[in-house]
Amino acid sequence: MISASLLRRRSRMLIALLSVAIGAMILSGLVTIYYDVPRQMGAQFRRYGSNMIVLPKEEEFSAEDAEKAEEVIPSDEVVGAAPYRYENVRINQTTVLAAGTDMDGARASSPYWNVDGDWPAQTGQLLVGKEVAGKYGLKVGDPVTVTYTPEEVYGAGSDTEAESEEEMILDSEKDFTVTGILDTGGSEESYIYMSLEDLSELTETDGGLDILELSITANQDQLKDYADKINQTVDHVNARLVKRVAQSEGTVLTKLQALVLLVTVVVLALTMICVATTMTATVTERKMEIGLRKALGASDRSIIQEFLGEGILLGAVGGLIGAILGFFFAQGVSMGVFNNSIVFRPLLLPIAILVSMAVTGIASMVPIRATTRIDPALVLKGE
Amino acid sequence: MIKGAFVRQWKKMLMIAFTVALGTSLASAMLSVMMDIGDKVNQELKTYGANITVVPKETSIVSDLYDVQGEGGTSAYLKEEDLGKVMTIFWAFNIVDYAPIVNVPAQTADGDDVTVVGSWFNHHLDLPTGQSLDAGIMSLRSWWTITEGNWIDEQADGYSENDAMLGTAIAKKLGASVGDTVHIKGTKHDADYKVVGIFDAGGEEDDRIFVALDTAQKLDDMDGQVASIEVSALTTPDNELAEKAAKDPSALTVDQYETWYCTAYASSIAYQLQEVIKDSVAAPVRQVADSEGNILEKTQLLMVLITVLSMIGAALGIMNLVTASVMERSKEIGLLKALGAQNGAITGLVLSEILFTAIVGGAAGFLGGFGFAQIIGRSVFGSSITIRPMVIPIVAVLVIAMTLLGSLPAIRMLMRLEPAEVLHGRQ
Repeated sequence: MISASLLRRRSRMLIALLSVAIGAMILSGLVTIYYDVPRQMGAQFRRYGSNMIVLPKEEEFSAEDAEKAEEVIPSDEVVGAAPYRYENVRINQTTVLAAGTDMDGARASSPYWNVDGDWPAQTGQLLVGKEVAGKYGLKVGDPVTVTYTPEEVYGAGSDTEAESEEEMILDSEKDFTVTGILDTGGSEESYIYMSLEDLSELTETDGGLDILELSITANQDQLKDYADKINQTVDHVNARLVKRVAQSEGTVLTKLQALVLLVTVVVLALTMICVATTMTATVTERKMEIGLRKALGASDRSIIQEFLGEGILLGAVGGLIGAILGFFFAQGVSMGVFNNSIVFRPLLLPIAILVSMAVTGIASMVPIRATTRIDPALVLKGE
Repeated sequence: MIKGAFVRQWKKMLMIAFTVALGTSLASAMLSVMMDIGDKVNQELKTYGANITVVPKETSIVSDLYDVQGEGGTSAYLKEEDLGKVMTIFWAFNIVDYAPIVNVPAQTADGDDVTVVGSWFNHHLDLPTGQSLDAGIMSLRSWWTITEGNWIDEQADGYSENDAMLGTAIAKKLGASVGDTVHIKGTKHDADYKVVGIFDAGGEEDDRIFVALDTAQKLDDMDGQVASIEVSALTTPDNELAEKAAKDPSALTVDQYETWYCTAYASSIAYQLQEVIKDSVAAPVRQVADSEGNILEKTQLLMVLITVLSMIGAALGIMNLVTASVMERSKEIGLLKALGAQNGAITGLVLSEILFTAIVGGAAGFLGGFGFAQIIGRSVFGSSITIRPMVIPIVAVLVIAMTLLGSLPAIRMLMRLEPAEVLHGRQ
């Protein structure tokens, strides 16, 4: 009975179906985007660089300590981990601060480092801060000799002009090629960067680390938990959030999520009202039919059941079509904006269908009930 | 004729107007939010602090060979008298805040090294343009938590130039709390500071003491000298032109130069600052400037796509409904044809009724839409969405186009049918 009447009203049903499908598409598309935005946008905020640092409790800490600290955090949340060891070195008799680090880690945890040239990839390659490059007139490709004088010599109070043959022997030097010039607009421009291995070779010691910078995709509360856990389980280190990055991210990200939520709510509300109105109109125009059936003796209940059934069936089919389209749309948005796939939430499909059915069901119910209550004669008369 | 139709079928007309209003309000709300979102998010991103720094041309050249720490003295400074010129650049309107910084090495009473930083906190500036600005690090350090006491308030009655703010680390070291007096030995003079606030910066600033600019300068006879200026400006995300210009502005053609100069790129604002502050070098702080450009772009793109989805939904909804309401009037159209009316006349009649209803509904929808936009703006950002006039013609075109698209095919289809069939109700 239901499908027969549906077929008769082909065009009208098609219009109602389309309306429901549009509503479901917007529902599933927007809700998918809403749930995905924190993850996707959060990843964008990692461009601000490290949001957690691990400092030594005393003078320095070892590479093993650094590894242990890094292990506390789930590996899929670590965007970058960069250990740094700082030493005073000399270029052309003047002091410069050298940082030994893991180049891949540094690149991942500080995406805003702008390198003119290339990052050092092999031994003997140097990344020079813009200020240092300007000071010494260094360009990409230039060779530079870096000298290191062990601390004991300084402690003796001598100046760099070696006073005796023995002291000269204590200086070690290494030849580098400048592969890149670093531009950040910050303090990094006064440093030179080499690999940890090169620094060890230059200083002829395996020194400890001075700081470990971590870039982690996690919100402020999770970051605090990780920091506490590191402080409890790893000796010699003190983990701390980089407030400037972590807190600001929390502030802005919360606002962005609120924005998407509110937009979703407004759009959904308006769309659902629209769907409901269309359903109501569809039923209302069949007033005559309802009146006629009543006049012919059909019970209120059977009429309500039939129309309600139609409405709900419409809601189900339209909901299914719309939900699938909505997923495609959300995927398109995710790829277009973040170049990343959405996380497919299978639960959303049945929910979208159920919501459609509920909206169409309720929207059909109201006019049907109203119409069945009117005297059939009046309805048939056309009032 | 139209009036007659209205009186008879006002309920149906109301339904059409209502649904068109819904679709219009959806479209206009989303469009309004989308057009303003860039400015709003840009403002929010200022929470990260300065995105441009201005430093003297010659910095940290000579380093003291006896100083194991490797910290050199800066051999040149910026002039404090140039500070007012910051708000005279072409893009002055985009400068949200700025503050001078001077770092003075000093010692505590116990002989420990400490850095005293001089800056503005809420320094009141009355600009020749009539604007006024409260400039200072108060809003450039949004992540500082004041654990005890307050910010230094330069405009308060009780303000004294010896007010100081201590980082939690240095406060702990000195065992100082709010109200205490701390004795500091500069290289040229000594001073007694009154602790008015203790802050937690979560970084190296926790080891420092912050005082007013003049107060810090006095320690070292550095009157009129500033080591750097931090600037927080609303910028446009970088593109190819901006990157090319950042490397070397003189490599641009005249047209390119004008475009670049007149767009609020971080690099062009930095360039303009360099022009007014003598012997300076200004550059974007990449950590902040590059990242915010990226976030801005992504947020705008996201909003554009959400708006497109909403507008497609609204358009389809309107079109759908209009088709439905035309189909509803099949009997009427069939009757008119049977009575001998011309196709053109029928089309004109139905169309004009529907268009009129759509326009009325659309007008109401605009108001609703702008209202929704304001709700979104106020709830999320705490400020109103600036309504762009461009929204009105765009949505109007959309509504009219959808109305026409929805009604014309349906009307044509109905007119092709035999009037007798239509009147009998068989479709």
